[in-house]
Amino acid sequence: MSFEPVTSLYVHVPFCAHKCAYCAFYSEASSGELIQRYVQALIREFELVAAELKPRTIFFGGGTPSLLNLRQWSQILETMERLNLTGAAEWTVECNPATVSLDKARLLRSHGVNRISMGVQSFDDALLDRLGRIHSREMVFKSFDTLRAAGFDNINLDLMFAIPGQTPAVWGQTLDEALALGSEHLSSYEVIYEDDTPLFAQLQAGEFEVDEELACAMYEELVRRAEAAGFQQYEIANFARNQLGGSPLTAESPGIPAHACKHNINYWRGGCYHGLGPSATGYVRGVRTKNWSNTQLYCEQLEKGRRAIESTEKLGALARAGETAAFGLRMNAGWPFEQFRRVTGQDLRHEWRGEMDRLIKQGWARADSEGFQLTPAGLRFADSAAELFLR
Amino acid sequence: MDATHIRNFSIIAHIDHGKTTLSDRLLHRTGTIATRDMEAQMLDSMDLERERGITIKAHPVTMTYTAKNGQVYELNLIDTPGHVDFSYEVSRSLSACEGALLIIDAAQGVEAQTVANVHLAMKQNLTIIPVINKIDLPHADVALAKTQLEDILAIPAETAILASAKEGIGIEDILEAIVARIPPPEPTGAASLQALGFDSYFDTYKGVVTHVRVFNGELKAGLQVKLLHSGKNVEVKEVGSFNPKPYIREKLEVGETGYFTANIKSPKEVKMGDTVTDARNPSPALPGFKEIHPMVFSGIYPINTADYEHLKANLAKLQLNDSAFVYQAESSVALGFGFRCGFLGLLHLEIVQERLRREYNMDIIATYPSVVYRVTMTDGTLKEVDNPAFLPEVNYIQKIEEPMVKAFVICPNEYIGDMMALIAEKRGAVDHTETLDSRRVMLTSLLPLNEILIDFHDRIKSITRGFGSMDYEHADYTESDMVKLDMLVNGESVDAFSCIVHRAKAESRGRALAAKLKEVIPKQQYAVAIQGAIGGKIIARETVSAMRKDVTAKCYGGDITRKRKLLEKQKEGKKRMKAFGSVNIPQEAFIEVLKA
Repeated sequence: MSFEPVTSLYVHVPFCAHKCAYCAFYSEASSGELIQRYVQALIREFELVAAELKPRTIFFGGGTPSLLNLRQWSQILETMERLNLTGAAEWTVECNPATVSLDKARLLRSHGVNRISMGVQSFDDALLDRLGRIHSREMVFKSFDTLRAAGFDNINLDLMFAIPGQTPAVWGQTLDEALALGSEHLSSYEVIYEDDTPLFAQLQAGEFEVDEELACAMYEELVRRAEAAGFQQYEIANFARNQLGGSPLTAESPGIPAHACKHNINYWRGGCYHGLGPSATGYVRGVRTKNWSNTQLYCEQLEKGRRAIESTEKLGALARAGETAAFGLRMNAGWPFEQFRRVTGQDLRHEWRGEMDRLIKQGWARADSEGFQLTPAGLRFADSAAELFLR
Repeated sequence: MDATHIRNFSIIAHIDHGKTTLSDRLLHRTGTIATRDMEAQMLDSMDLERERGITIKAHPVTMTYTAKNGQVYELNLIDTPGHVDFSYEVSRSLSACEGALLIIDAAQGVEAQTVANVHLAMKQNLTIIPVINKIDLPHADVALAKTQLEDILAIPAETAILASAKEGIGIEDILEAIVARIPPPEPTGAASLQALGFDSYFDTYKGVVTHVRVFNGELKAGLQVKLLHSGKNVEVKEVGSFNPKPYIREKLEVGETGYFTANIKSPKEVKMGDTVTDARNPSPALPGFKEIHPMVFSGIYPINTADYEHLKANLAKLQLNDSAFVYQAESSVALGFGFRCGFLGLLHLEIVQERLRREYNMDIIATYPSVVYRVTMTDGTLKEVDNPAFLPEVNYIQKIEEPMVKAFVICPNEYIGDMMALIAEKRGAVDHTETLDSRRVMLTSLLPLNEILIDFHDRIKSITRGFGSMDYEHADYTESDMVKLDMLVNGESVDAFSCIVHRAKAESRGRALAAKLKEVIPKQQYAVAIQGAIGGKIIARETVSAMRKDVTAKCYGGDITRKRKLLEKQKEGKKRMKAFGSVNIPQEAFIEVLKA
């Protein structure tokens, strides 16, 4: 049997030097031995899926991928080369500003990694401390220079706002400093209080209150400043530059800036991807899979020569299309009707006409002959809108 | 058995003063039950009764006792519900007796409940045999108990028997006193059968089993009898007594106590306290019959709307053994379909709700309880209102009267100030204060029933650190300045929160409800106004500000399944919401407030 190859690949690196106060991602404190075992297991997993994989986008997320040492990275990168998995048009690795070294950056760049996503969160040392981040503002500047020196010309900065204790002034300062760095991409999101995180526990304990007004004001400030600095918002939390070095680049599709993260767009557009590593999810041939979160368990399965899938989910065609519609609306470009039909086999204008009309009437969305998208006001209620499309 | 050798009696006691232990001792001593069968608390059959230490339903038990004079007596212990909510049932049970044992805990002394029940027994002219129980306890104070008997209850102290049911002390004396002091039953002199039906239960095979005490003539199988107040003629199928299990007897004669069956399908057909007589040769009714009326009403709703039919079936089952409980279907904008239920009082309400929850496994919510108001209309007609929804418009009302209770509160001296403040807060007036002993006082006061429905008892307990006790008897209606308080959400009334309150309390209650509703109503895309109103006048207002956003800040491949499931759940939840204008409010929000 042969299938269309899967063109997106996510790899989860579940290790952190220190767990942040807001983080609910699966990660564990690193022990050298377990990391080594994980690398071997991951290599095994690469081998198991390589045949049906021809990645155009790759994303190494975590955890802290940059925590892996040079030798471990070499093993992974060489395996990928051996299996013919390199050469992606967009290949991102997440980095913590405290764990970037010139050697490591050069190694990654030389094997084809061409995009770095740096978890900055804030330029305020007090807030960084509050969040349990291990880096300082100085490290951000230093790491950014290191990455540029290693040849990375596509860098994303992750920022967080509405952090407890963060004033509008502090947020404005962080925005100024981030924009001044001149990255190609900016991801910025309001702090999320996930169950089972220290930050959530503090909220429950009444140590601080959530100020919705303030959070909204910070979001508005973000959009305004990012756009003034030449960024284009293309998703609720994502901004990218549309040109580089003065020469305009051709956008892949309307409303999407040139430096948008294609890997993430694939998620929102309902595309396929393989997910490797503990807790990673995949979406292949209409089936969503999730790997075991426990690294030990993950390794044991792969050591036995099988993938470490904990659960799978297959939705019916309409439910799948509804889900795809819902998540695609997170993007400013919304859904071009034809593209939606290509991806899902369903027509938005038929199945979801009532929902679209309702949102347009509310001022939350607009449509033309080409497609349907949420307005800036609608994007603030993207979940309310998304809910309508689920079937 | 000839009537001179029969004694009918009941036992009056405060919770935990030893009524059940004493009953068990009597059953054991008379050989009615063997030690090995002596399950603790033989007479109380429902778990709930055991837990709360009160009797809601109990069989009369027939014991055979050979007295010191060598003669054999039939002693009928007719148990009574220990709570004043069931005062009519208590009075019916008491009227089946000629005497009562009054138990007082030697360590605790007289309690509020004892006072209320002794008043009932005295009204029935029963011979009272005081028993000072638990004399074996190290802190027993027999002398004080005796003083209280005389001072509070006006019962001669020298008549008291000292006992410890637990240790088996004084049991013999009690049995002898029953024989010697309680008068034997006497025929009424009527021409034919007169029997008092004082309780009933439902048996799947026999139908309604009615507990009776024969006052005149004899009751036996095959007899055509008439239930005078129910207006029903039936043929008696079976008669018998309990020992404590039911056993068939040929007949029940003057003074005897037991049961009869007659293929009666529903307990509603036999009125509590009805007189059973010979259908062909009827005698007049026995005195004291009253129709029982529920005093407290509350809506009961299934939390899961799909459980409506199930709830309906279970209410019907409950009613089979509790004819005092009434219900009828009603619907509420906020809570959907449910039932308006009537109860004898607060405890009855609590018991029914607890039984639905525990025995029938129902997930239910009850609305704010209401008493029955008497409304005199401007045209002079009288209307009884137990549901705020049916209170007429103000301009048609001449006056509203509310039911009052006479409450007995016993508390340690040092809390008397706080207690008087509480009574005043509850719109009550202290009628008189009595010193019980060096530590305690009893406040007798008149209060509106409506004011003691919710937290009166709990407040007494908390003020007195658990040492206070309270009981009440129903008193007359009094004219009162009552108003209907409506809670409005975006201008629409939420029926489940409407209530009839005294004008002086309307504002604070309106404010408290508005504040609670504000807490539970989720933010909407538009601002939501919550108001408390009397007639057209707004007396409280809160605003739930509009939601500024509803968006997941961060969502990538790994989040999609979880996020989709969350959105699906939200969507499902919205289907169950109730619409108030443009506002959708989940039923859970209303339930949250009712629970609080």
